Order: sequence, then C-alpha cells, then structure tokens
Amino acid sequence: MRSPAPAVEPDPAPPPEDDAAVERAPVDLSVDLVPSRPGALVLNNPLMAAAGCLGYGFEAAEQIDIDRLGAIVTRGTTLSPRSGSPPPRMAEAPAGLLHAIGLQNPGIDSVLDRFAPRWATWQVPVVLSLCAVSADDLAALAARADVPGVAALELDLASVDLTRDGRPLSLDAGAAARTTEAVRSASDLPLMVKLSPAATDVRAVARTVVDAGADALTCGGGLPAAAIDRVRSRALLGGRATLSGPALRPVALRMVAEAAAAVKVPVIGCGGVVTIDDVIDLVVAGASAVQVGTALLADPELPLRLADQLADHCEGIGAGSHRDLVGTVTDISGRRRR
Amino acid sequence: MRRPVTIHGIERARAEITLHVAAGDPAAPWLSTLHVGDRVALLGPLGKPIRLDRRSHHVLFVADAASVALLLPLADEALATGRQVTLLVGARSGTDVYPSSLLPDEVEYVVATDDGSLGHSGSVVDLVIDYEAWADQAVAAGPAWMLDRLVGFAAGRDRRLGVARLGRRTGRRATAAATRSAGPAWLQVFLPQTVGCALGICLGCVVPGIRDGVRVCRDGPVFAAEELAWDEPS
Repeated sequence: MRSPAPAVEPDPAPPPEDDAAVERAPVDLSVDLVPSRPGALVLNNPLMAAAGCLGYGFEAAEQIDIDRLGAIVTRGTTLSPRSGSPPPRMAEAPAGLLHAIGLQNPGIDSVLDRFAPRWATWQVPVVLSLCAVSADDLAALAARADVPGVAALELDLASVDLTRDGRPLSLDAGAAARTTEAVRSASDLPLMVKLSPAATDVRAVARTVVDAGADALTCGGGLPAAAIDRVRSRALLGGRATLSGPALRPVALRMVAEAAAAVKVPVIGCGGVVTIDDVIDLVVAGASAVQVGTALLADPELPLRLADQLADHCEGIGAGSHRDLVGTVTDISGRRRR
Repeated sequence: MRRPVTIHGIERARAEITLHVAAGDPAAPWLSTLHVGDRVALLGPLGKPIRLDRRSHHVLFVADAASVALLLPLADEALATGRQVTLLVGARSGTDVYPSSLLPDEVEYVVATDDGSLGHSGSVVDLVIDYEAWADQAVAAGPAWMLDRLVGFAAGRDRRLGVARLGRRTGRRATAAATRSAGPAWLQVFLPQTVGCALGICLGCVVPGIRDGVRVCRDGPVFAAEELAWDEPS
C-alpha cells in the first residue's frame, strides 16, 4: 500500500559562507523500475517512448539524441514477420489519432539478429514489446529475447486482444495473469505488463498480473475504435483501429491512480502526454515513469524537452527528485484507498 | 499532427517559398489566420522528388482536378528548361476543371470530364494512349484508382510501341533491366500524403511495394510505376 509522500520542503541547507558559487545538486530524475532487483532496469529519467511510436529507434536516432531518452519501448514484435494492414492506416480523430498498422514488424529473429547488437551500443535501455496470439507464442518470444541490447520486455495485453477472438485479456484478470505467468516463466528479464484502457476493473487485473510476476505495470495505450469514410459509406481502417492521443489522457490518469492504489510495483503512465502538465499529473497520480506516444509523431524530440522541464519544475519547488511527487494526489478515483 | 504540404513554387530572388495546402486539410482554417511575421515549424524537405531525365524533351502530366496544383511547379520548370509539356486533367464536370487561363500558354491542355460537359467524355486515362508515343516521360497525381489504371496502362507501353531494347538477355527480363538502368521510369506517380510522422518511423503511410511495403513519406511520395504493387482499387 503506497503511503503518501512527505510534503515537499524547501531546501533547508544554509547558503555557503565562502565566495565560490556552489551549484545545487542537479535534480535526480532517475527511476528504478524493478526495485526488487536494484540495478536491473534503471532509467536516467522517467520519460519513455511508448510502444510503436519510435519504431525500433533507428530512424529516430537520425533525428534526436536517442541516449537522452529514459527508455524506448519498441514496436510490437511477433514470432513471424508481419506485413501489416493495407493502406490507409491512419486517420484523425477530434482529440487524437486512429491507427491500424496491423503490427507490421520483421519478426523476432530478424529483430534480435539485426537490431539488438545495435541497441547494445546505446546508453538508452531498449524495452522489447511482445505481441502474439497465444500465451505459448508469448513465452517463445520471451525465451528468445534475452540477448545483449534488450534491457526489458513489455507485454502488451491489448495487442493480444487484437489478434484473438473472444474475451479480451484486459477484461479477464485470470487470463491476464496466466499470460503474464507464461512470459515470466520463460524469461528473467525485467517484465512490464501493459494494461489496456479497456479494462474496467483495473485494480483486479493489476493485482493478479503483479502476483503473476510483473515487475512493473504500464497503464494506458489506445482504445479500440472505428471510423467511417463518408464519401464511400464504408469503414475506414478496416473497421478495427486504435484511438490514441490526447483523448486518452484522462483515462490514463484514472488507470494510473487505480493501479498505484492496488500494487506496490512501479506504475508507468501512458496516454495523450503532450505537455509537462500531463507528465506531472500522471506522476502525482502515482506514475513513477511516463510514456510519450502519439505526440512523438509530431515531435520526436518532445520527451527530451519534457525531461528538462520536469527537472526545472522540481528545482522550482525545491524537490530533489521527481520521485518525491509520485502519488502525492490521493483518492483520484473517488474510492477509498485500501 | 503535422500537416503535409507540398512546395508550389520557389522565388529565389525574394527568398520566398510558396506552399500548397489541400483545401480539405483540417489545418487550412488555422493556417489561413496566420499573418506575415508569424512563425511556423517546418520539417523538410522530405521524401524523393520527381526525376525528369535530361533527355526527356516531351513530358506528359496526368492529374485529377484536385491534384493539378501539385504538378504545376514541375510543369513550369519543364517549360523553363526548354521541354514541351502536355497536361491531361480529369474532372467530374466542366465546372471543376482548372482554368486554362491560369496555365502557361505553352502547355497543351486536354480535359476529360465524367459527364462530358467539357472535353472528352470519360476518364482522363482514356486520353493517355494518344500521347504515350509522344511523351518521353509521364508524371501522374490523383486518386488511387486513377493511378492504378494508369500504371496498368503504362505497363503495356513498350509492347504497344514495339520498343526493342538492347540487352544481354532477351524477353521481359531484358526490358525490365534496361528500363531500370536507363534513368527514371517512363511513368512516375505522386502518391497522396497521409497523416503520420513523415520521418519513416511510425509505418502509418506504408503501401504495398513489389517486395515489401514502402513508406510514402521516406521512400516516396514519388514512385516509379514498377516499384508499387497494385491490386484491385480499394
């Protein structure tokens, strides 16, 4: 049970007496995402790139200083290569983006052979996002992924929803837990499990997934959605798209609050993050780290600026670390915290 | 999201670039409120441009009414470099057609309308056969169905014209190999832009190529007709 952080106090140290200017200690933005195994996954700052939005990182590395990101979560990777959905794959929504990429990816073997060795030369931790139709496939993916360059795994329960028929995993705490168990048994890598916003009982899914071995929870991502092409009166994007972006922000906030109330492991917030206020909102709601997703499409450099702004914010209120702010706003969901 | 725009013209003496924004773009109202001196963030230039072979003296442009503006800057440049230009435009009816008074006099302008109210009654693709021998190169912009038909039509050009190609091997393979090594393809198509990151990261703009998917933003937006895999119009 997470207790409220102590109230933030101004820096109590008296000014130095000598003439030389003394620099304040820089704000510590580091985050340990697996506190039960210190050092297993430590981020330099809490701003991560969300799955799918920076690809496997290489094109982005041409544009931005990739090592200044807290972490990168890759595009969803499957056992076999997938060519993805036919065009068009994207459409705009009033407060977000509709996308139906169809999990295009070169397959796990190609990713581990060609990309992991390059990731190993980066400072930024690369988290491999796993997608599959079955728990067995997920376990097979996880078992192969323990190679230099892969710092952690993110299991996206919502993408398993995409490829399955039947009851979505996020609504079924038992199935979500069994899926997590299958991955956990196959790999010792730090494991983040991503809960879909479609989950109605976030606390139940969060608890069972953590009991099944998740080291951290990612709360957020997109919602199943659709659009219609008015000109031709048919479904756009194959009738099965995902809505992401600012529309999801309040949903992500509630998910983070619920999950943080239910579990002790770090919670990562994801959904419509664009400004520093969005970041701080998620942090005070309970997020130890924050993923930037759709906004990366307009501005791949955004997380780097947000990290700087977060440091400025902490300095401005006299906090030595953003960790002092995690979970300081309680009872967001309106229910009493246990 | 960033808005895709194309370069409509460049005035080097005044250091001015004119950008073309599609009328239906959701950002058009916002852009229209900007004033001289306002700042906008611009990313580019992106993607691969249309390539005109220096040996091409006769260039054919094919477009639908909405896409004419995309090709006009290239038509101007073709004329400025001493080439002859023919522009074929298809529209629903005569009222949608780009006014000939806005085109340079030197451009031969031929129109097709679905309802027959102006020019040829039918599709602009019907007109191409009259120019395929004359044109050294063709460039097309328009909706997917139009490009699809054009590409299918262009695939038969060599056969129809009885073009013989010198090469080490005979048959279709020789033609394809010679085509690839002989400079830009006869037909280049300008695929419509879709929303996305524009940097080749998000895979939002991928269209089927002959082997793998190709990204319109990074590998295009201009493609040789042979690079793309076309199946039934979607």
